Amino acid sequence: MRKTKKTTGRGKARRDNIRGYAFLAPWLFGFLALTVFPLFYTFYLSFHDVKLTALGVETKPIGLDNYASALLRNIDFTPALVDFALMEAIYAPAIVLISFILAILLNQKIRFRSAFRVIFFLPVIVMSGSVMHQLMDSGSTEIVWVGQIFIFQIIYNYSALLARIIEILFQNFAILLWFTGIPIVLFINGLQKIDRSLYEAAQIDGSSSWQSFWKITVPIIKPIALVTTLFTIVQLGVFPINPVYGMIQDAIYNTAGGLGLASAYAYIYSFVMALIIGVAYLILRDNEPVPGAKKKKEEVLYE
Amino acid sequence: MSKNNKVPVKKKFDRKLFFHRLRYKVIGYNVVDGIGSRIVTYTILIAISYIFFYPLLKMVSMSIMSPNDIINPEVDWIPEKLSFLNFKAAWYVLEMPKTLINSIWYSGTLAFFQTTVSALTGFAFARYQFKFKKFWFSMVLISFIIPVPIVLIPRIIIFTSIQSSTGIKLIGTIFPQLIMALFGQGINSAILILIFYNFFRLIPTSLDEAAHIDGATAFEVFWHIILKLSVPTIVTVFLFSFVWNWNETYVTNTFVRGAIKLLPIQLSSFDSVFGDLAPKIPGQANVNRINEAYKMAATLISIVPLLITYAFAQKQFIAGIENTGFKD
Repeated sequence: MRKTKKTTGRGKARRDNIRGYAFLAPWLFGFLALTVFPLFYTFYLSFHDVKLTALGVETKPIGLDNYASALLRNIDFTPALVDFALMEAIYAPAIVLISFILAILLNQKIRFRSAFRVIFFLPVIVMSGSVMHQLMDSGSTEIVWVGQIFIFQIIYNYSALLARIIEILFQNFAILLWFTGIPIVLFINGLQKIDRSLYEAAQIDGSSSWQSFWKITVPIIKPIALVTTLFTIVQLGVFPINPVYGMIQDAIYNTAGGLGLASAYAYIYSFVMALIIGVAYLILRDNEPVPGAKKKKEEVLYE
Repeated sequence: MSKNNKVPVKKKFDRKLFFHRLRYKVIGYNVVDGIGSRIVTYTILIAISYIFFYPLLKMVSMSIMSPNDIINPEVDWIPEKLSFLNFKAAWYVLEMPKTLINSIWYSGTLAFFQTTVSALTGFAFARYQFKFKKFWFSMVLISFIIPVPIVLIPRIIIFTSIQSSTGIKLIGTIFPQLIMALFGQGINSAILILIFYNFFRLIPTSLDEAAHIDGATAFEVFWHIILKLSVPTIVTVFLFSFVWNWNETYVTNTFVRGAIKLLPIQLSSFDSVFGDLAPKIPGQANVNRINEAYKMAATLISIVPLLITYAFAQKQFIAGIENTGFKD
């Protein structure tokens, strides 16, 4: 009797609610207290002059002054932010593209496949801010100095902007590759879930492998590309190649500007980050449903 | 006549067939098959592997160089004289056995709590249809995108005010990060929750139902059935959490402030610490100028524990990311 009562109807819904929230409770409390509340509190602090004393927090409203300091008075912050945005704009697409290509290569029937995968994943394990800093500092990451290559000079004469982009891209090319570890695995995983029969059907219909790639592989992989891109954008932010993080940390310790200025920095930075993520989302979201892809996507989702 | 007629026809046909076959051999019908594409594939993969390893190889090579080799422009990869003094100096400056042990227990403790709460959260999402489940699930994913600095300042204030109001020392100890890990707000928690979530969904619900009929509570089901079946996943999540906590320096620096000597933090301040300790380094009278060899030796020492972990558990690491099945 108890059994039937428990597993049907409203009893089950109520039981699921209680149990679900019981298991969720630690995370939920942490999320509300240590993420949601701080989000609003940082916003509040960014309009105040904040002093952390032995007695607690002293705040004095100063309006937009912190933002003015950050954007107008501090001559380092805005350039650092622009550098960061530029780096994201160049690195993130490059990383996603390179990891997609490597995933396609690794998804073939080739020898030493697992050895290559182990190599490409290794940086995920050893990459920390300090290791990266030491390697870059000692010049271990510079493989070629592009400025010295003849072709680069030609490009530079043609377009200085393009040359700058190439320079940024290749300056720390090894470090750029180190960010592909997790994206490669995600892409391979996505590629392996594509039904082979789709390609066979396309081939019977006279599609070349090039056409199949663009009409089958790319649309199915697109949602994974979105996730990978977002992941890469976030990851690029947390390493010391991001100059803004260091500035925010300095502002936290700096008693002159105080936590209010640091909060303003954090909000401006997060706003830029949100813009970058928004752009990536608009470019990669699923805007054109492709026949066959829809079903596959659901399968990928619920497998 | 007829012969002459046939020849060009045959030639034309032959050429077409020839190119067809050539194309098949080199490119293949699928990009996979041809010899040409194979050569291209291997070349790219090997070249890329070389670039992946380049910083690490350079690191190893520089770490065994004597100061003369470092300045000598003729020495590129292989030093003229092997020098292990760099490691001795780096070992001393990193305060080695102590920092290593500190890092192990520090990351291990955080990883333990992070794994536990990720399992609970993943289980809630995988098993129960509670209200606003979709909303909270998307919040888990969004919490991954939120930049750390924006939540860090209030967290500092929270922990300092708890410290000053209760008198319990928090700043300079593991506790701020332990509390964050315990409540699911540690580093990359969203990914760990996703790994558990995807794994738990694969376990048939009939198992829990059978246990419920036998009178087991929800927690008993989780503890005795689900966790017993998830040992490989638990290991994977723990390893990831361990490595990520090990490599994390931003939040750690903010809360520990040098009070606990951890390997990556000691490495990040290696240059300044070296200056202070240089005259005291045993057995090396005049090591007063830092050079790349010392830094690289220190970097190598600091990643060896991670390399050993990876050597034993590379399958778990890769499979772990595969199991996120990352999706929105």
